[in-house]
Amino acid sequence: MKMTKIVRTTADVFYPFCLVFGLYVVIHGHLTPGGGFQGGAVMATGAALLIVAHAYEDITGRIRKTAMKILEAIGLLTFLFAGLSGILFHRPFMANWMAQTGKLFGNTVAHGPNPGDLNTAGLLPLLNVGVGIEVLGGLTVILLYMLSGIKEEKKP
Amino acid sequence: MMKIALFSAILLVLFGGLMYIAADLPFGSPPVSDMDDYFIRNGQEQTGANNIVTSIVFDFRGFDTLGEATVLFTAVLGVGMMFRKMKEGEEYEND
Amino acid sequence: MTPFLLLQALILLGLIVTGALIIAFKDLLAAAIAFAAFSLLLSIEFYILQAPDVAIAEAGIGAGLTTAIFLIAIRGTKRFEEKE
Repeated sequence: MKMTKIVRTTADVFYPFCLVFGLYVVIHGHLTPGGGFQGGAVMATGAALLIVAHAYEDITGRIRKTAMKILEAIGLLTFLFAGLSGILFHRPFMANWMAQTGKLFGNTVAHGPNPGDLNTAGLLPLLNVGVGIEVLGGLTVILLYMLSGIKEEKKP
Repeated sequence: MMKIALFSAILLVLFGGLMYIAADLPFGSPPVSDMDDYFIRNGQEQTGANNIVTSIVFDFRGFDTLGEATVLFTAVLGVGMMFRKMKEGEEYEND
Repeated sequence: MTPFLLLQALILLGLIVTGALIIAFKDLLAAAIAFAAFSLLLSIEFYILQAPDVAIAEAGIGAGLTTAIFLIAIRGTKRFEEKE
């Protein structure tokens, strides 16, 4: 079952904007309000638009369940290994060892209000991206599973 | 009709009592604020993040966020097990 | 301060109205849309109370994903509530 042509066209036009805005919220998580979870939820809303508007047979070609499962696992593994990476440098688990070093993501920040610099905050951008990917994959997989369950029950 | 009136009366009394208690609670000014002051004063310089909420959620309280991500992963696993493909001749238990 | 309070009062009134509508509707699709409106108003209220993080999460999860999940669930079951 699919919705009318108007709904399908609107969803096709709108979902790239949802994805781009979600990506912006994730990447600027350490500068502006929002972060991994919020940005991932916005991206998953973009995917949900497509999933609700189209039939299950049409959507499986564009959004693959396996790819979303892999994304989810990669997100959680990114988070875990970013946390564990501090151990190599004799720091505790989840220690922010990249901040204030002057290298990757390591620019120093002055106290008080300042124009944001993306190349700061050490481990936080990595963790943000990991959580964002995981939330996108997880919520999309839930929607796809629900839709597949409906299709199986309607067939007989 | 009598039942509904009685139910709404009980609800109103409960609501009034709750609001009466809640009106006295101090709001927005915790009695012990040493840790909050430390985060607000040093969080930006120690983590390098302008957004102090993210610096607390992902850095000072990073272990909590790991638990949250694990909860989401487990929830998706549960949904996947609920909607799994049935084998031939397998039935739902509670049909 | 006064226009802020007026806006807040309007939004809280809208929250109560949409909350009552969710219960009153017999058409479950209309109830799901009313729930989306409820979530949107709630996220505006969070934004006014200076919690933009929570506002983004509420707008994404409440108004977007929950509505989509309800729509899929309604697709799999019946659209109208039955009389007891």
